[in-house]
Amino acid sequence: MLLLWHQRKMYLKSNLSWNVLIPAESLDAGGLMLQKAIITRLMADFAAKKATKDLGYFLALSTVGKIGEGKVRKQSGDVIFPVDFSCITFKVLPGEILEGVVHKILKPGVFLRCGPVETIFLSHQKMDDYQFVPGENPYFMNGKSSKIEKGVVLRFLVIGEKFIEIEKDFRVVGSLEGDYLGPVS
Amino acid sequence: MSAEEEENAAELKIPDEFLKAKCLMNCEVSLILEHKYEQLQQMADDPMNQMSQVFEKSLQYVKRFSRYKNPDAVRQVREILSRYQLAEFELCVLGNLCPETVEEAIAMVPSIKVHSLSRLQLFMFLRGKGNEPPDFITRGRAHDDEAIEKMLNDLSLIKKFE
Repeated sequence: MLLLWHQRKMYLKSNLSWNVLIPAESLDAGGLMLQKAIITRLMADFAAKKATKDLGYFLALSTVGKIGEGKVRKQSGDVIFPVDFSCITFKVLPGEILEGVVHKILKPGVFLRCGPVETIFLSHQKMDDYQFVPGENPYFMNGKSSKIEKGVVLRFLVIGEKFIEIEKDFRVVGSLEGDYLGPVS
Repeated sequence: MSAEEEENAAELKIPDEFLKAKCLMNCEVSLILEHKYEQLQQMADDPMNQMSQVFEKSLQYVKRFSRYKNPDAVRQVREILSRYQLAEFELCVLGNLCPETVEEAIAMVPSIKVHSLSRLQLFMFLRGKGNEPPDFITRGRAHDDEAIEKMLNDLSLIKKFE
C-alpha cells in the first residue's frame, strides 16, 4: 500500500512453471526414474536459459513442486510435462548500490564484473576526480592517492542497465558519484 | 539445539525464512549455492556439465562478498533486520554492505529516511480527516538516527561473535 515505488531486488526468488519435454526413449522406466529424468531435464533447460529481461540471470533451482500430467506429442511419441518450481535469479537495477571487481582499465573508463554480470562500465566522467595514468599496467588515481586498478573492489551506483536479447546478457552502466562510493578495502 | 535440528542444519533444509523471502542477501545465496554445488558433485556423472557459467560466477561472487559465513549468523542477520520493518530490498542492501555509520546507511539506502517521512504525512492526512490512524502507523517505524544506529550495532555484534 505504502510501497508506491517499484520494488527493487537483487537476488530474486520466483515461482515459475515450465514445460519439460521427455523424449520417448526415456519413458520406458516409470515412477521415480521418470521423475528423475524430468528434474534432470528441467535442470538442463534451466542452465541453458541463462537469462531473461524480467528476471535476470538464472542462478539455481530452489524447489521443485507439482509435476503435472504429461501430454503426448503424437508425431514423435515424446511427452511434455508441466513443472512448477521456484528458483533464484539475479538482476541488477538502477539506483542500486553494488560491489564489483575491476577487470579492465581503459582511458575512457573502467570495466567491472559483479557475479554473472561481466560488462559493467564506469565512465571516467562518472569517476569523481580520478585521473587516468597510462602505462603497461594503467590505473586511475585521485587527489587523495586512492588507486583504481585491476582486481580492486569498487562500490558503485547502478545508473542504467540494458538486456541484449541475442547474447542473453545484460550491459550495466555505473557511477562513483556519491558518498561512500569507490574502492573498498 | 536438539539432535534433530542439528541434523537439519547439516543437511541445510531451506529454512522457512528463505521460503517466505522474495529477495535474498549475498550470504543467504552463498549458503544455497554452496549446498547446490555439493549436491551436484554427489549426484551427477559429470558435475561440470550441469554447472552453468552463470552458476559458477555467481557462486564465486557470493562467496567472496558474504559478510557473514556461519549459517546461524546469517539467520540472525535476517531476523534482526526483519524487526525494523524494512522493505525486502532495503534489508538486503543493508545486509550486504554492512554500513558502519548512520550516514553511510542512509547513503546506501536513501529510502529508509523517506519511509518515515511519507508515513508521517499519511498519518497527518488521516488525522485531519478525523479518522483513527491505521495501526501500522502508530506502531511506527522509527527510522530516526537512533533506531538506525541500534540496528547497525546489533549487526556488528553478530560479526564479532561469528
